[in-house]
Amino acid sequence: MDSELRLGVFLCDCGNTLSKAIDFSTIKTDLENLPDVTYVNISHDLCLETAQKAMQKDIEDKGVNRVVVAACSPELYEKGLISVIQAAGVNPHLLSIANIREQCFWAHPDKTKAAKKATTQIKLALNRARFLEPVEKTRIPVNRDVLVIGGGIVGIEAALELSNLNLKTTLIEKEAILGGKLNQFPNLYPLQVNPEEMLAARLKDITERQNIDVLTSAELIDVNGEVGNFSARIKESNEEVVRNFGAIIFASGYNTQFSSQIYGFELSNNIITQSKLEEILKFSSEVKEIPKSVCFIVDVSGEHSRVSTLSALRNALGIKEKFGSEVCILCRNLKIDGAGLEKLYRDCRNNGVLFIKFDHLPEISKQNGKIKIEVEDVLVSEEQVSISYDLLVVEETSVPPPDSRFLSSALNIGLDTQGFYQENNIHLYPTASNREGIFFAGNCHADLDLMRALTEASNVALNAYQLLAQEKITVEAERVIVDPNKCRFCLTCIRACPHHAIREVEVDHEKMAAQIVDLACQGCGICAVVCPAKAIKCKDGSDEQILSELEPFGEHV
Amino acid sequence: MKIKGAFSPDIIAFCCAQSAYQAADTAGSMRISYPENIRVIRVPCVGRVDVLHILRAFERGADGVLVLGCHDEACHHLSGNTRAKNRVQKANTLLQEIGIDGKRVEMFTLAPNQGSRFARIANEVNERIKELGPSPVKSAD
Repeated sequence: MDSELRLGVFLCDCGNTLSKAIDFSTIKTDLENLPDVTYVNISHDLCLETAQKAMQKDIEDKGVNRVVVAACSPELYEKGLISVIQAAGVNPHLLSIANIREQCFWAHPDKTKAAKKATTQIKLALNRARFLEPVEKTRIPVNRDVLVIGGGIVGIEAALELSNLNLKTTLIEKEAILGGKLNQFPNLYPLQVNPEEMLAARLKDITERQNIDVLTSAELIDVNGEVGNFSARIKESNEEVVRNFGAIIFASGYNTQFSSQIYGFELSNNIITQSKLEEILKFSSEVKEIPKSVCFIVDVSGEHSRVSTLSALRNALGIKEKFGSEVCILCRNLKIDGAGLEKLYRDCRNNGVLFIKFDHLPEISKQNGKIKIEVEDVLVSEEQVSISYDLLVVEETSVPPPDSRFLSSALNIGLDTQGFYQENNIHLYPTASNREGIFFAGNCHADLDLMRALTEASNVALNAYQLLAQEKITVEAERVIVDPNKCRFCLTCIRACPHHAIREVEVDHEKMAAQIVDLACQGCGICAVVCPAKAIKCKDGSDEQILSELEPFGEHV
Repeated sequence: MKIKGAFSPDIIAFCCAQSAYQAADTAGSMRISYPENIRVIRVPCVGRVDVLHILRAFERGADGVLVLGCHDEACHHLSGNTRAKNRVQKANTLLQEIGIDGKRVEMFTLAPNQGSRFARIANEVNERIKELGPSPVKSAD
């Protein structure tokens, strides 16, 4: 980089709206007298293309190598301005923005005070500009294969989508056959189409694909490396194989479990689980003793209750149709948010299914071979109701797959409080993990019904494709750097990095040091703070840049 | 020297670019006013804020420091906000030891759309620092 600083300042008065409050021309002369300031320009609309073209020309003509902009919030036009300075041949990281609109004039009604603050902000942005450092881009070759863990319907769908996108996919399944939960409980998933047929069609499709490799009775043991270059150890029927992938998709699903602790009783011949009921309904012609009255209880254990609620609704209808029994559903909060589900609920009601809402778990006991339920009806009477049924169908709790705890620590990916995989941000990045290149789909991380899970499978395939669409990924190189001479290799940063983006490398004969993986780094700067030797430097938000904004204070301006 | 009644403290707010900085923008966009002596510094994540940065702010004449990050369990970088919380506590004790009221450093969490919360925090903290008076570092000059 050139040693000489040539600062270019662009002041924008937001279509003349700010010029009433602040006199840009005095600021301009003021700034022009400061050292290293090469050029100061007043614009009215830096967000518009014409002004941006002029800005680009000014930068080129005046040989500006650091750009300071005083305008609206960087959240709005930072990206646009970056492309302008990039077009003018200035590194995108050499831009410093003073937010004088949202955080000055719009927030402070006192115009003189706001103008004073704006002047300070502009000077601070100038200060910061002196410490900015360029970051170059580089292209890193990536492995374009994808690993999908879990051969349930979500894993299958994701693999098919990836195959459509021309990415070679390896699908691994713990069991001997593909299909997952849909094999056991087709009725668990309310659909217009028959889930068994849907699964069969997909299984047929998957065998015909050249670029899908299916490994059954296989388990993931460990993963090394980072996004673009993961190397996974897979145990396939007692044999261990190592394969390389660019991205990993978890679609490992969930397990169900009856927890007697929640209910305070054990299962018996007239207290059965929903999956047992599925079996009974599957072979309904063989049932000898038809229960005259059936009661379902759902939503006993918190968040993950969408699937069990839908299953209860569907099976309640099924029992009505097949046996004509009296059916009641005890629920805390009926989750029927999805296409066609409101209709399912109405059908239940129209067919005479009774719904009772509870706040506190009902008291359940056995009396004369029947199930006696005492529940406070919170909706209608607000009184204790005592009812008795022939058969009680209890909800099973969704639990994470047994290996999720082990895999989360082996791969350094987060789990939520219930032990399911934790998305990076449930609203903004619902399928991303905390690690770049590792994604979640389906019920291994969220409570989804089948339609939602299938949508997510397609989304996650697109996420992986976005990453691996090209042979090489363009990435900013050395945005964060470790000085190997200062690094004492204490591993603090490696442990602290939330994205698993720091690896160990041998720098010199036997001297080890930490190294940032550019592809995986998300630039949070946590490592730079925890490093006891101060060996790590973030070029975006370095100590110097942050401290430069602390001056000047108050009257010292 | 300024008169005590007119004391307007210099307050530095380290703001997470993912949440608090945007909350400050939201406050401006909604024209919710807060004291202009609060100065925002944008950091990629509050996990980037070091105890050193907080202490340096006092060294350079700040009367109060705010660290504003994402809500608990909502940090894009998982542990950034909890780390910041610990560092703020550390800074509290360090300041207390050298005779500066530890209450001059505070951490709050907010979401990008909580413009009014940002303004409320700014107003409250401004009042609290006013009560405490100018930082002893300043008067030592």
